[in-house]
Amino acid sequence: MIHAGIDAGSRAIKVVLIDGDGSQIVARGQADQGVEQDKLACALFENVLAEGGVRRSDVGRIVATGYGRNAVHVADTTVTEITCHAVGVRQLVPDVQTIIDIGGQDSKLVRLDTSGKVRDFAMNDRCAAGTGRFLEVVAERLGVPLGDLGTMASKSRDPAAISSMCVVFAETEIVGLLASGRSREDIVAGVQASIASRIVAMAGRSVEQPVIFTGGVARISGMDGALARALDRPVAVSPEPQMTGALGAALLARRQHEDANT
Amino acid sequence: MGKCSDHEDIGISSTDPCHPPESACGSTGAASPPDSPLAWFEGMIPNCLRYAQDAKAGGTRIVGIMCEYTPRELILAADAVPVCLCGGSAETIARAEEHLPANLCPLIKSTYGFHVQGANPFLEMADMVVAETTCDGKKKMYELMGETRTMHVLELPQKPDDPDAMTHWISELRKFRDRLSQAFGVTITDEKIRQAIRTMNRERSLRRQLAELMTSDHPPLTGRQLLQYKSSISGLPADFAQYVRAIEMYASREAACGSNSKVRVLMTGVPMAHGAERVIEIIESHGGLVVCMDNCTGLKPILEDVDETADDPILALAEKYFHLPCSVMTRNDRRMDVLRDLARKYHAQCVIDLIWQACLTYDVESRFVKKLAEKDLGIPYLRIETDYSPSDSARIALRVEALFETVHQRARA
Repeated sequence: MIHAGIDAGSRAIKVVLIDGDGSQIVARGQADQGVEQDKLACALFENVLAEGGVRRSDVGRIVATGYGRNAVHVADTTVTEITCHAVGVRQLVPDVQTIIDIGGQDSKLVRLDTSGKVRDFAMNDRCAAGTGRFLEVVAERLGVPLGDLGTMASKSRDPAAISSMCVVFAETEIVGLLASGRSREDIVAGVQASIASRIVAMAGRSVEQPVIFTGGVARISGMDGALARALDRPVAVSPEPQMTGALGAALLARRQHEDANT
Repeated sequence: MGKCSDHEDIGISSTDPCHPPESACGSTGAASPPDSPLAWFEGMIPNCLRYAQDAKAGGTRIVGIMCEYTPRELILAADAVPVCLCGGSAETIARAEEHLPANLCPLIKSTYGFHVQGANPFLEMADMVVAETTCDGKKKMYELMGETRTMHVLELPQKPDDPDAMTHWISELRKFRDRLSQAFGVTITDEKIRQAIRTMNRERSLRRQLAELMTSDHPPLTGRQLLQYKSSISGLPADFAQYVRAIEMYASREAACGSNSKVRVLMTGVPMAHGAERVIEIIESHGGLVVCMDNCTGLKPILEDVDETADDPILALAEKYFHLPCSVMTRNDRRMDVLRDLARKYHAQCVIDLIWQACLTYDVESRFVKKLAEKDLGIPYLRIETDYSPSDSARIALRVEALFETVHQRARA
């Protein structure tokens, strides 16, 4: 018996299949998000099944999560991404206490208790500053692929200070910085610092270690360092950072299946 | 997925990550039977309007109020009709923002917007409006409103345990009585005040009895339905008769509403004026049951009665009303004590703290409430800051779902 998690995010859909023991990822995959969310999720799900050599009839239960979770009609139920990331990261890093998830258009900080359950959470989902969107805007403005930003940031020796709180105005500020001769590397590093400062503002009081960083933006090198400097704590990138939501969903699908059958 | 065939589908979301959802009983989609007490209160505005218009036509004075600190008893004792003017509509806010800052509590803006538009018939027929020095936003809004409305301002002292503050409050109530007396040419005797106290105590008692139905493991109604059982005008005999019918009806009904997967929510914070019930509706359509609301549209004003045996009824009024634990009071420890008791009495599994945007006092106080929930009560806490616009309903639903998932996860060993 295989169980599936589908994380329908704002920029990418992710699918994870786990085995009946909940100990092995059998297959995983991702695709770009688009307008026809249900169709895209379904297509990705079918592809991942095929790649994993899994028949549809072998699948026990499917849980959807993420921004587009209610559009994924192949799912049996939905669970919020807050719970799913907590379960997914905990599976990979058993002693995690704080999870920072930065996605395409939101960011979250989830605090766990010592037994690994969610204690509380804070979210920013109404402002682009502090989300992957800011990095997209910078990449567009600098004319570089998103994937190059990490390397560029690592070459910076003197990150530019970005004072604007708003991505729209920050973009104008960046044009000004370029015109005044600041390097693109310094600008990207400045943007990373700015995103990290939004997370610190959201975090409020104490952030317990270990701090694990997940979500699509965690894949951009340098962001973990920017967060660590801003939080004044070590920050480690989760294994499989883009997949932890789908992994958590798959693990919860397995739990739901077990509970229904005992 | 469990589906009950004659109930509305609440969608595929599950708030228990390990158990799929059951259908909601009393979901907001079902219409109330036309003769039911709930249907009576769903027609509350037209009922009150008819009552007020008839009263006015018969020469009775109408007095608008905008706060639970204002003792309706004194208005009733002046043979006048007390009517609440608090605004719950988003539609009047745009006009209000022509005169008031946008960064202001939506309840204040909405109330003021009705005034500017002349869109609240109760306000239009009011002979006097009572204001109070509670929060900054209200104080200054009242100055604008007072330019064209006959207004009396009650000064509310804000140190709840200070005897001098109480003395001042008593004197403010005496001044209010005198103002009503003078303005309406009536003598407000102690006996008339006592009569009004008895009426209001009866109303508080009836509403309490309904609220206490929610202590049950399987409450016979939803929090949204309970919120319906109130009236803009106090003391209406027809309302009292319906409260009695409702109590009898629910007592005899087999417990229907709490399916075991509903999370019991203690809702606190700001009041939800008529029309501004969006957040409780979101909570109850995403796996929650609001078993208790300690805000001013819930239990806060009805927990304590006025002493009917006191020699001086003004003193008795001053005592009860001064005890209301609004966040304008400093310190507001009484609210924390009340929350502690209510959480226990209503077996709350989590606390949701609603704060209207720009409500500084409830916003700052939310830190104390979070600490109380997490440390003293050991239950999860969620703070929701919003206004009257529905644009963030999906974001609120996400947080509420995540909160309920946390409750369910904790309930697993």
